[in-house]
Amino acid sequence: MIDVKQILNIAHYEVVHIFKDLILFLIVFAAPLLYAALFGMIYISGTLQHVPLGIVDLDHSAESRAVVSAFENAANFQVIPEVNTYAGLEEGMKNGAVRAGVVIPKDYSQKLSQHQLTQILTVYDSSNLIYGYNTRKYFQTVLNTFSAEHTAAYLGGLGMTKQEITNVMDAVSFRMQVWYNPTFSYVTFLFMGLVIMILHQIGLLSIGLTVTREKERNSWIQFLCAAVPQWKIFLGKALPYFIANFFNYGLLLWISARFVNVKIGGSLALILLLGLLFNVILVSLGFIISLYAPNSLQVTRYLMLLSVPLFVISGYTWPATHIPMVLNGLARLMPYTWMAEGFRLATVKGLGFDYLSTTILVMTIMAAITTCFALSVTEGRFLCTARAKSRLIKILYRR
Amino acid sequence: MPKRNGTGRRNFIQNRVDVIMFSQSRAIMKRELSYMWRDKGLRNILLIVPLLGLLLFVGVYSYQRVDNISTAIVDLDKSSASQQVITGLKNSQDLQVIAYPNNYDHLRELIKKGEVIVGVVIPENYGKDVALGHQTKVAVLIDGTNMIYATNATSAILTVTRTLGAEIGIKTLIAQGIQPNQALEAYQSIEFREEAWFNPTMNYAYFLVLAFALNMWQQCCTLTSCMNIIGENGVRSWLQIKASGMSTLKLFFCKSLVHIGIFMLMVLPVYFFAFGIFRFPLTSGWPLLLLFTFVFTISLHSLGTLMSSISGNAVNATRFGMVIALPSFVISGFTWPLETMPQWFQPLAWILPQTWFFQGINYLTFKNQGWEFMSRYIFVLGLMAVLFYSAAALYAHSVKTLFRKG
Amino acid sequence: MEPIIKVNKLSQKIGRKMLLKEISFEVLPGECFGVFGTRGTGKTSLLHILAGVDRFTSGQVEVLGSNIRKTEKFKHDLGLVTQERSLFPDLTVAENLDFIAALKKASKADVCEMIERYELNELLAEPVTVLDTMGVFQRLSLACAMLNSPKLLIADEIIKDIDLYSRNLILRELQQFQAEGGTCVYAFSNIAFCGYMSKVGWNYNSGMLY
Repeated sequence: MIDVKQILNIAHYEVVHIFKDLILFLIVFAAPLLYAALFGMIYISGTLQHVPLGIVDLDHSAESRAVVSAFENAANFQVIPEVNTYAGLEEGMKNGAVRAGVVIPKDYSQKLSQHQLTQILTVYDSSNLIYGYNTRKYFQTVLNTFSAEHTAAYLGGLGMTKQEITNVMDAVSFRMQVWYNPTFSYVTFLFMGLVIMILHQIGLLSIGLTVTREKERNSWIQFLCAAVPQWKIFLGKALPYFIANFFNYGLLLWISARFVNVKIGGSLALILLLGLLFNVILVSLGFIISLYAPNSLQVTRYLMLLSVPLFVISGYTWPATHIPMVLNGLARLMPYTWMAEGFRLATVKGLGFDYLSTTILVMTIMAAITTCFALSVTEGRFLCTARAKSRLIKILYRR
Repeated sequence: MPKRNGTGRRNFIQNRVDVIMFSQSRAIMKRELSYMWRDKGLRNILLIVPLLGLLLFVGVYSYQRVDNISTAIVDLDKSSASQQVITGLKNSQDLQVIAYPNNYDHLRELIKKGEVIVGVVIPENYGKDVALGHQTKVAVLIDGTNMIYATNATSAILTVTRTLGAEIGIKTLIAQGIQPNQALEAYQSIEFREEAWFNPTMNYAYFLVLAFALNMWQQCCTLTSCMNIIGENGVRSWLQIKASGMSTLKLFFCKSLVHIGIFMLMVLPVYFFAFGIFRFPLTSGWPLLLLFTFVFTISLHSLGTLMSSISGNAVNATRFGMVIALPSFVISGFTWPLETMPQWFQPLAWILPQTWFFQGINYLTFKNQGWEFMSRYIFVLGLMAVLFYSAAALYAHSVKTLFRKG
Repeated sequence: MEPIIKVNKLSQKIGRKMLLKEISFEVLPGECFGVFGTRGTGKTSLLHILAGVDRFTSGQVEVLGSNIRKTEKFKHDLGLVTQERSLFPDLTVAENLDFIAALKKASKADVCEMIERYELNELLAEPVTVLDTMGVFQRLSLACAMLNSPKLLIADEIIKDIDLYSRNLILRELQQFQAEGGTCVYAFSNIAFCGYMSKVGWNYNSGMLY
């Protein structure tokens, strides 16, 4: 009974501290929201639309105008009328005024009427591959429609009836279904990965300073000489952060689904379980970091620098199948990798427990290991080692 | 110490002052260097992080293209016609057929498990229907979870289906008694040629690796420059400097010079590895790239200095700096284009020096933009540096006077 | 009589510097052991080791009958006042007392008693950082150390540079503590306090002289 009281007391004063330290308070409660809002705003449009397109029509015939109108009617392109010469297209592509171009050759209609092969050139800017790949896909879509229309018109010219034409054209239809993210929304693809990264970084950063701070302020002595067992300090100190993190997890999910239009489906229980495991790992990992870290400046620095590499090697964007084994293995050691992947499988693919068993198992093991470590480790508790290391820094930057 | 010579006492004093001024500056620079060196954490970060980042990202993107996307085909027909479809898919360099599941459910399971990204279902009686001119439907399923897969797979499928559709259409027409050359013309009179400009192989490594490494670099620079003012104010030895009567301006000028020099030294090996060893494209040439980087370094440093001046201690300065440095890459529109962000947000993005930098790097590496185009970027970055430094000086000054009054 | 503290060949090395070198001594119950030395001679190190706050390189240390490497039991009967400020700087006086009481599993009654004895009544709502004089701060530190009614009190430079009133109050309380049979270990750098001690150790050249 009295044990619980002691833990709650430690938790209580950690909360008092969070509320008194304005910056820490902002980190715990405002930063996740702020970053999520920022990234949400950036990705809110979801899909790449209105790609600026320059059409160079060297033919100016009725036939070539058909090509132009096919692109004008395509929702994904926005034709920039100012760009209408090849030189203009080259310049526009260079300075970013247009990201794609169509060139219709001079003899287009002539060759068509003479039944000769003619060529339409499509170019796209692949210096930004988000433009590159999407524009390429859009081109394919427009050209498929256009060539079908062209064929239909040609067959009509041969005197075939509409019904006959349809029969020929639709002899084989390829029905393409894109599952899970049919609109190709970048929000659904990328945004939650960033949100989980935010939670990861904020989670580690907030609790990662809790013991380091006490050490720097010398008050860690009070814990040591009062013989409070390690596991009680951990539970007491971790409790407020655990609750805050979980609150943030829920809040950000709600915001993502409600305002940013992220697809979040799947089993709620699974989402909560993943969040819970992730949170346990973060809190205990952060606590371990704060036990060992020489000082808060270094903790802050290293943690912040980690975010980009962690995100890149996790295979969340660039697929893990195309990452070398060694780096893949490294990524598999990181909780972020598992959480980001598991979360996507659960929310976007809507998979159930049976498909996620490996993810859950691995995350449970990670949680168990880090928690055991945080509960029991006594290494690094003591002042002298940490103090010796941080003394130099303390002298340098007296804080 | 200069020796006294015949030119008179006045000259001597002038000389002496010069020497003192000079040695003072040198002393400050030396001290700043030794500070950065002795701060082990900072030293490791500065020495290792940008290069390590570059190598790591080169490793991650070593495949450079997402091709060989796992594909599964459910062939319920097993005829020569269906074999033709399979060959068509196999010939696409973006797709790799790895499985032939027996039925649709099995295929769905494979997609759910993530073992294949693309699934094609050829219906029963496909061959017969095609031969008889009956309508038949081939279903193509694409896992849209990872869009890098999905966009590539979609483009590949669209190309394959257009070719296949044309082949079948021509056969149908001929079967219906249309002249072969007319049948061909109906489908193939227009050829569509595509060109990917600036990055013709659609190489992801060219696109992202250098930018990611530079992103790490700018974060490291932010970390360091955030210590510019606070690193002094907090330290007791600040009093020594104040007592020496040295002007604050000169002090920070010398410090900043060291910082900026170090930042440039850090980025050089990154560039060397990227362009020299990994052969990433650099279309605009070294001088402009280095000049542009140099100006950006100064403006980044000025931003860090500003953060440093408004925060109470080193940890907070680091946090403030990183608040900006961390998301700046996403904001810069290097990956997800600026134009797709909300209208009102775009001008805000251009306030950050990082936005100008990453946009500029894209133009320099891929698009061979010359001085004429880049001068605007360089000018704006320079202007930012002036503004941020002035703001930092003003803020630091007003705080100091406040303290004096208090 | 079983000694309260038994130190045998204790050495402490931090980095390359030998702070303590094979020190051995004993402190008997009711004794007042003084550690004397100038700055940087390892007084604080020694005290922190005795309190179980720092680890040490080699040797054996027994406090209140238990080997401090093996158990933390002895800490229930231990009070520590440090030289550097080690209370929670962001909390008020009352919160500090309350929190440390919770850490030490002391009761509310103990807290009230300490407030009474160390005359902290009027300062309860003050943040610790604002306590302007070292004297008041040391009174609070001592109060916190005494919360669990320790058998052994370890105090580092407790009456250095503090105002007369606080000093007298602290000395009064310390005498009372000893009168009730408590054992103390003090570190000090002012030779004048030698008179208060029953035994003085002089930490000199990394060795111990008596």
